[in-house]
Amino acid sequence: MSHALYAWLAILGLTAVTVITRSAFLVLGDRFPLPERVQHALRYAPACALSALIAPEVMTAGGALVLDPASPKLAAGLVAMTVMALSRSMIVTMAVGMGIFTVLRLL
Amino acid sequence: MKRSAFFGHEPAASVRRAAFTGGLRAVAPALFATGTWGLVTGVAMIKVGLSTAEALGMTLLVFAGSAQLAALPLIAAGVPLWVVWLAATVVNLRFVIFSAGLAPFFQRLPLAKRLALGYVTSDIGFALFLSRFAGTPPEERGSTHQVWFFLGMAAGNWLAWQAMSILGIFLGHAVPGEWGLDYAAILALIALTVPMINSRPSLAGALTAAAVAVLGAGLPLRLGLVAAVVAGIAVAMGTELALERFHRGAR
Repeated sequence: MSHALYAWLAILGLTAVTVITRSAFLVLGDRFPLPERVQHALRYAPACALSALIAPEVMTAGGALVLDPASPKLAAGLVAMTVMALSRSMIVTMAVGMGIFTVLRLL
Repeated sequence: MKRSAFFGHEPAASVRRAAFTGGLRAVAPALFATGTWGLVTGVAMIKVGLSTAEALGMTLLVFAGSAQLAALPLIAAGVPLWVVWLAATVVNLRFVIFSAGLAPFFQRLPLAKRLALGYVTSDIGFALFLSRFAGTPPEERGSTHQVWFFLGMAAGNWLAWQAMSILGIFLGHAVPGEWGLDYAAILALIALTVPMINSRPSLAGALTAAAVAVLGAGLPLRLGLVAAVVAGIAVAMGTELALERFHRGAR
């Protein structure tokens, strides 16, 4: 298989994955209605999914755990969380976070 | 139609326009994060060796940042196609959960519309929609207002994502890795997540999800991510039940 054919087949399959996963219960919903309790639990899904995406990015490097508070990614991440909680401003959070990340990396 | 009684004699087009604009306005603060992610993903597609045409095709068709980012190293390594697709499916499992959350609102619409609304669902769109309309009584779910509000959010999100992703594709060769742009995307995610952690159950769930994701980071196919979401939701619900019981006991 040529590289171009392989890449395009991968892309078309991934498109199908997007459609199928995102509309799964929108298509099946009336046949398999979800209990109210489960729907309630789903409200916590976004915060959990995003936390699960972030944590390994700031706390691991090459598959190994990094708990050094002077690690640029971890330190800047913790500061960014605090700044966001206090200021609620994404721009301020990004600016402070990138500043600390860059300074610690260059030290 | 019950809906026309609710909106009085206002023409349907202006209801749609107002709802669409409302959706755009609601999603606007998140578009900085979306755009940053798009830019990073655009650059990444070029960096792993996709052609400009393939990268454009991928962003315009697949339209799924985390699934694309998860698939790219696998595509670069030339693994069997089913592994690429399976990995993306696992990363996208959260959308199956989201679709279940949206089903009570949109399940009475025609199939083509349900597929279209599903396709344009984003993490932030789902979160904003549910936090806004979760308390809607069942008979008002899926109203014209809600559908067009959702579409307004989706349109803003799609435009920001595609514009920045395409910019990333063309900048792919120019942006040096030392800029640490990938970290800016993580900071953007942090800024999105913090306001969602607004109660003790959500804090417990988020901490659990983070811990499980870190411990499971070495698992293949990003299964650690799925385990983390499931564990996080379970702990959040457990915390909620425990708090309810505690307050009932205290009364």
